[in-house]
Amino acid sequence: MNGLFAADLGGTFGTWIGALATIAVWSYVVGERTLFRLLQHLLAGLATGYLALLAIREVLIPRLVMPLVTDPSHNPLLLPALAACLVLGGAAWLPHRLVAPLVGLVVGASAAFALGGAVVGTVLPQLGASLLGRDLGGAALPNAVLALVITLVVLIAFLRGGPRGRLAGRTAVLGRWLLVGGIGAWLGFLLVSRLALLVDRVGFLLGDWLGLIR
Amino acid sequence: MTASNPIELRRLAPPIGLLLLLAVASLFPVSEQPAGLRLASADRTRVDQMRNLVAGLPSQPQVLVGFDADLGTYPEIRSTVRALLEDLISHGARLAIVSFTPEGRALAAAEIDRLARRAATGGQIAADLLDIGFVAGAEAGMVRAVNAIVPSAATGSMADSIRAGGGGIGAFNLVVIVSGADLGARSWIEQVGSRLPHMPMAAVAPTFLEPELAPYLRSGQLQALLATLREGVAYAEEVPVSGAARDRAITALPMLVGMLVALVWLAAAGVQRATGRIGPSSRRGGLA
Repeated sequence: MNGLFAADLGGTFGTWIGALATIAVWSYVVGERTLFRLLQHLLAGLATGYLALLAIREVLIPRLVMPLVTDPSHNPLLLPALAACLVLGGAAWLPHRLVAPLVGLVVGASAAFALGGAVVGTVLPQLGASLLGRDLGGAALPNAVLALVITLVVLIAFLRGGPRGRLAGRTAVLGRWLLVGGIGAWLGFLLVSRLALLVDRVGFLLGDWLGLIR
Repeated sequence: MTASNPIELRRLAPPIGLLLLLAVASLFPVSEQPAGLRLASADRTRVDQMRNLVAGLPSQPQVLVGFDADLGTYPEIRSTVRALLEDLISHGARLAIVSFTPEGRALAAAEIDRLARRAATGGQIAADLLDIGFVAGAEAGMVRAVNAIVPSAATGSMADSIRAGGGGIGAFNLVVIVSGADLGARSWIEQVGSRLPHMPMAAVAPTFLEPELAPYLRSGQLQALLATLREGVAYAEEVPVSGAARDRAITALPMLVGMLVALVWLAAAGVQRATGRIGPSSRRGGLA
């Protein structure tokens, strides 16, 4: 059992809806487009409704409306933030010069969080772990050298516009093949994930819906 | 239905055949599957890391579960996540569950509902469970949660305990990340781990995130990681869960059948390419 539905009438109804939706989606492989398209619309509609509900119930009311209503003096930044949101979200007719700085601020702040986190949380610690804190005994040294060589060769594959001799050209081709090899290996991991999803859906139909497996 | 002529039938046969094969393989009872066919990983290093991390927690630890799985990959890690929650609950952990993605919130709500149903039918229950809910703002929301994670309206002993510990993620003994494709363990490490470097973090992730997350485990930024189906199955086998509560796990035979079909498909495509029976449009874009 996937355990997401209760063993009551509502759960049975949910299981039937899930099973019929799964079969309707799979009907695409036998060329049935109408049902598939209907399910796509249903998914889009449900997702939109869910997101709207989530935004209202878990963000707007508890974090914006309630603080403004119950304790506005302790939340002085909420009103300007609300005004900024209204400008960003709803006013396509507003002058570009008014909206652009706010959009720039939001995009810039998001990028700063992502980039800052990537540098401080990934690049520097990973460099440190690779170069400094590593025990280079046994197979570690050859592995480290191999990793460095592969990284350089793949980087050369991305070089554009520089002087390209015969050696650099061949190295770039090798780099592209190494890149393809890496992507292929990653696709192998992805295949396992997707196959597990398909096997689980088959198990849902046979177990939760038809009761043939426990 | 357009499958009326032989060409159409030949086109439709592979996907339908795959589904039938998977169905037959799934129907095969686990006890009757070949002895050498085990999905659980033989290498228990990561399983032991996770179990030791949970076992090493202090009495009644406060554990934050960052539930940001996605619908497309959650079935793969579902039984692992449930086994981990069982493991934490059996160690007396007090759980707080938070999500930074809408999909993660939907799945977290379903799991909280499942835990409540289990408690109602006499199953093992968490010493304390606080549903923090959805936190908006993606990575900015994570950064804010480092200092203030409890909603102002939240009440109860768990909420009070977190507030007494500073009100942020630093009040917890462990962060467990249920990772999906969006805002997964990497974002947690980058945004929260870099601000709270001494906070232990563990992750459960689908297989395709294994190459991305393995370096964090090696560098010590993650204390434990279960990121393949085989590790997850091995972990779920190790955790003592009563038979009724055990989740229906993915078994080895259908996975093996699926992988073999994929390999045959790949080999057939390779042969077609080698013998020149593949269309000119597919042959464009050579690497050299």
